[in-house]
Amino acid sequence: MIPEISPLLTLVLVLAGTAAGMVGALLGLGGGVFLVPFLVLVLHLPMRLAVGISLTTVIATSSVVTSNRMGRSLVNLRLGMVLEVATTAGGLTGGIAAAMLSAGTLQRLFGIMAVASSLAMLTRLERRNVILDPGADPGRLGGRYDEAESGAVVSYRVRRVPLAMAVSFVAGSVSSLLGVGGGILKVPALNAWCGVPLRAAAATSAFMIGVTATAGAVIYYGRGEIIPWMAASTVLGVLAGSRAGIVMGARATAKWLKLLLAAILLGVGVLMLARLQ
Amino acid sequence: MTQPVTDRLERWLGKILGWGALTSTGLLASGLLLQLFGVTPGVASALTHAGLVILIATPVARVVASVVEYTLVRDWLFMTLTTVVLIILLGSLAVSLNLRL
Repeated sequence: MIPEISPLLTLVLVLAGTAAGMVGALLGLGGGVFLVPFLVLVLHLPMRLAVGISLTTVIATSSVVTSNRMGRSLVNLRLGMVLEVATTAGGLTGGIAAAMLSAGTLQRLFGIMAVASSLAMLTRLERRNVILDPGADPGRLGGRYDEAESGAVVSYRVRRVPLAMAVSFVAGSVSSLLGVGGGILKVPALNAWCGVPLRAAAATSAFMIGVTATAGAVIYYGRGEIIPWMAASTVLGVLAGSRAGIVMGARATAKWLKLLLAAILLGVGVLMLARLQ
Repeated sequence: MTQPVTDRLERWLGKILGWGALTSTGLLASGLLLQLFGVTPGVASALTHAGLVILIATPVARVVASVVEYTLVRDWLFMTLTTVVLIILLGSLAVSLNLRL
C-alpha cells in the first residue's frame, strides 16, 4: 500500500508540493486543500497517509510564510493567540476522532467542507472591512496595517469573537481530520462575519495553522502515518512554492484572490465527492 | 505602550519560525538525497526523522516563547491563553505516545 521510494515519485511529490505551496501562500490556506485531493485521487494514497503528509506541509508553510511576514503588522498576533486556544483544542479532538472514522467518511467530509466554503466565499466578493481613517480605534483585538492597494494605513475592529472561537474549533478539528490548515474555514468566517480584512485574515490564519496542524501531526507521527521520505519530498516542494506565492501575493488584488479561492474550492470539493476511494 | 512589546515578540517569533524551517528543511533535504542516492540508509532515515521532529517542534517552540514573553511583560491574560495552548499540545503528545504503546 505504501509506495517504495523512487526518483520519479520523489519528483512528482516535489512538483505537487510546489504547486500546492504557491496557491497556499497566496491564499493563507497552507496548500493542503490542493495536496490531499492530489495524493488521494491521482496517486491513490490512503486518505490517512495523505492527511499525514499534508499536515507536515501545513506546518512548514506556516513557519516560512509567517517568518517572512513578521514585523509588518499584517499578522494580528493577539487575535491569533486567542483563537489558537480553540484551533489546537479542535486539532487534538480531530486527531483522536480521525482514528474512528473510515477513509470514505473523511473524503466525503473533505468534499462537503470545500464546496460549502467556496459558496460562502462567492457570496461575499465585494465586501471590504477596513476603516480608512488611520486614527480610528481598532479596539482590543483589532488591528491596523499598511494596505498596498490603497496605499493607506487601514484599521479594523474584530466583531463576534465567540463566533470566531467556534469556527476556529471546527477549523482545528477539520485540520486534523482532513489535513488542511483550517484557513479554508477561518479566512472566509473572519472576513465575512468578524470584520477582519481578507489580507489580515489570511496572514493571521497562516500564523495559526502551524500550531493547529502540530496538534494533529504529533498524533499522526506517533501512529506511523507520516511516511518520512514522502513528507520530506512534499515539504521541500511546498517551501519552494510558497516563496513564489509570497512574491505573487504582493501583486494580487483582494477580489482576484477571493475569486481564485472560490473556484479552487468548488472544483476540489466536487472531485472529492465524485470519486470516493 | 503595548506596541514595542508586540514588536519584540513579533521579531522573536519570526526568528524562531525562520530558523526552525531552515534547519528542518536542511535535514529533510539531506536525508532525502541520501535515501535516494546514498549507501547509508540508517543515517538517511535518522536525518529525515530528525527533520520531521524539528519541523513539528518549531510551532511548539513559538508557543513557549510567547508564554515567556507575556510572563516577562506581565500580561497575565495572554500568558494564560498561550499556556493553555501549550498544555493542549502536550496533551496531543500524550495521546501520541499512548497510541504507540
